[in-house]
Amino acid sequence: MLGLKTWLALRSRGVLGINQRNGDLVLKYNARHLYPLVDDKLITKERAMASGMRVPELYGVVSTEQGIKDLGAMLRPHADFVIKPAQGAGGDGVLVINDRFEGLYRTSGGKLLSLDDLEFHISSILSGIYSLGGHRDCAIIEYRVKPDPVFSAISFEGVPDIRIIVLRGYPVMAMLRLPTRQSHGKANLHQGAIGVGVDLATGITVGGTWHNLKIQRHPDTANPVSGVQLPYWDEFMQMASTCYELTGLGYLGVDLVLDEAQGPMILELNARPGLNIQIANDAGLMGRCRDVEQELAMRAPRVWGITPRKRVAWCKQRFAVTDQ
Amino acid sequence: MRSVQLHATLLALVLFALGAGSVVWQVMVRDIPLTESETDPVWIVDARVEFDARKGFPVKAQMFVPPSADFVTLNESFVSNNYGVNVNKLGDNRQVTWSTRRADGHQVLYYRLVLTRRFSMTEEKAPPGPQFRKSEPLTGAEGLAAEALLAPIREQSADVETFISETINRVNNSTNDNAQLLLRGDYSIESRARVVDLLLAAAHIPAEPVHTVRLGLQQAQEPELWLRSYNGKSWLYFNPDDGAEGLPSDRLVWWSGDKPLAKLEGGRRLQVSFSVSKNEMSAIQLAQSVQPLQDRSFWTLSLYDLPLEAQQTFRILIMLPFGVLLILFLRNLIGLETLGTFTPVLVALAFRQTDIIWGIVLFTVVTALGLSLRSYLEHLRLQLLPRLSVVLTFVVILITVISVLTHKLGLERGVSVALFPMVILTMVIERLSVVWEERGGTHSIKVALGTLIAATLAHLLMTPPELVYLFFTFPGILLVLVSVMLLLGHYRGYRLTELRRFKALLPSGKDQ
Repeated sequence: MLGLKTWLALRSRGVLGINQRNGDLVLKYNARHLYPLVDDKLITKERAMASGMRVPELYGVVSTEQGIKDLGAMLRPHADFVIKPAQGAGGDGVLVINDRFEGLYRTSGGKLLSLDDLEFHISSILSGIYSLGGHRDCAIIEYRVKPDPVFSAISFEGVPDIRIIVLRGYPVMAMLRLPTRQSHGKANLHQGAIGVGVDLATGITVGGTWHNLKIQRHPDTANPVSGVQLPYWDEFMQMASTCYELTGLGYLGVDLVLDEAQGPMILELNARPGLNIQIANDAGLMGRCRDVEQELAMRAPRVWGITPRKRVAWCKQRFAVTDQ
Repeated sequence: MRSVQLHATLLALVLFALGAGSVVWQVMVRDIPLTESETDPVWIVDARVEFDARKGFPVKAQMFVPPSADFVTLNESFVSNNYGVNVNKLGDNRQVTWSTRRADGHQVLYYRLVLTRRFSMTEEKAPPGPQFRKSEPLTGAEGLAAEALLAPIREQSADVETFISETINRVNNSTNDNAQLLLRGDYSIESRARVVDLLLAAAHIPAEPVHTVRLGLQQAQEPELWLRSYNGKSWLYFNPDDGAEGLPSDRLVWWSGDKPLAKLEGGRRLQVSFSVSKNEMSAIQLAQSVQPLQDRSFWTLSLYDLPLEAQQTFRILIMLPFGVLLILFLRNLIGLETLGTFTPVLVALAFRQTDIIWGIVLFTVVTALGLSLRSYLEHLRLQLLPRLSVVLTFVVILITVISVLTHKLGLERGVSVALFPMVILTMVIERLSVVWEERGGTHSIKVALGTLIAATLAHLLMTPPELVYLFFTFPGILLVLVSVMLLLGHYRGYRLTELRRFKALLPSGKDQ
């Protein structure tokens, strides 16, 4: 039977399925009461700043319909910014304004919007259509990250980001997410962005995935996506690893960006990160998670003494892509 | 984690055992039928009492009627004009007395008994009889003949049963001189039974004649004579014709003793005739009519005790978990994407009012039109709640228009739509339009299709009358469902769609 063969092949490669992710990782390592730390981007931002990590600067928060009136004043000092729902999921409801034009706002996609349009968007955010549970939300206005030129050849508009999966503080897999024309400048895979696997040891990209397919080149720029050295790789890994101490969540997807002026920043955290990162890396997550669990079991009672530095070093050595 | 999994598995097993056990108990012990169409024979025994009344005299007719025993009496009626009816107990027997001050001419009285064997309480024992009796010594030739007959019987029998069988056989043997002497030339069955009784009396073995009616499809019949004796535990029945032991299951004991079936004062030419007919009755109806009588309805058919209207509601309600389990399967094992978790079940509920094909058409049409309205409203920049209200009102108008149109066209089906849950449809439209905006048209059509497929399957699972009957009659099945859900809660395998999704991860060369 073909299905059974596929099943066994995936199992032997340690590929993580949704049921297993939910049952063996999310339910096991992520306590429900900690979710607000990652679901509410405002809290995440505060926490990250308190522990000395860089985040995009917060320009303002709109939490009531009355507050929308002050939007114009709030936006006046900034030529470019990002509006996003505090509790949005999967990049929905994010509006990126690149610059202004004759009193209008130009989005990253090139559309021109009036202040009215922005106010309506914020009103939608407040009503909760982008938020996870559908309940009322607030809108965050923050610094627009300007992507480092290293990505210009392999991304189309928008800001590429780096997703690192962290199991109990151990970064087990990483992926560079590149916006495409189809994803309208957004870096979310289900919206059409490309995921590119990253060698944990070196920070050099390997093959990519687009819509569950393996790809080698960016569909818009036609440049190869593999073999790109990500700068500040060690810092990215450290930041991701530290997020475990930051939140207490054992299974975490950390989204980081590289700003051309300010360097690596934490964008947001995700308590149930997607699974396509496995296709990008051509590797199974479950196998790596089991390795980490074994390592922790071996060190058993003295787990708390392991610093992020040690964890990152262990992962770099253990999960290095040896030979392509 | 392991211990939690073990806990859940054990709980699932316990619930499964409880649920399955209750079903088995209901079926095996309480005899509740597994399907609604299962029928059981119901016997209708009519006794017709005829006589000619003497003019001017009071009339009193008496007849034995069966004591309730192995059969369950569903109904017992006495049909008689102008007669007073009185039933009283006479030893082990019951006797009905019809009486009237005056009657004239030919009189016909009826006694009707409706019986069934199912749900009879076999545990109830018939009243015990004596185990010993005194006998008056036989004298003269009869005494000698009896002794001569009894001696070999004593030799050749081991216990009361064999003794009686042997006695009957000897008396039936026409070549036996002693038996012939005792029979005095009368070879009728009554006479033979009398002689057997005589011999048994001499041996101090209690016995009595019983008269039975056969529950078979023959038009007219006479009560059949049997002998019975109590052995300390139960009654033993013997056929006086051949000494065979054991009363066939189709015999109904009408009365016991030597007395005639009926007697009459104030009339002549008394005649009693029996007729038996058979009816099929649905077993569950039977159960319902029998259970309350026996006052044990609490555990067996509790849902049937509810008022009819509530029963209708529960017939729908009790199927919900089944639909939910299906959604669980579709989502977690197969990986079908649906709108929300249980929306398909709600849509399936809506289908039961509209019929499936019509429901799907309606769902599609209303959702498509609602979506286009929703995308138009997008331009007006309304807030969430006002927008939802407008869409809901639009849905109501749409359904009204469809109903009126179909009615005008002569399609009465459209009118049934009136109760199609508008709120569910509105929420479906709203969520679908959000999905459309966020994930694009292809994805939202995929999700809508998934919802429709799941709803259709859930509807098909939740409506077959056989299944509804099963769930409604055996609520223990719900516990079995819970146990399956518990086990699914620890399912860690791939979803079927993931096998396709992760195809790129297969070792190269082997894919395709």
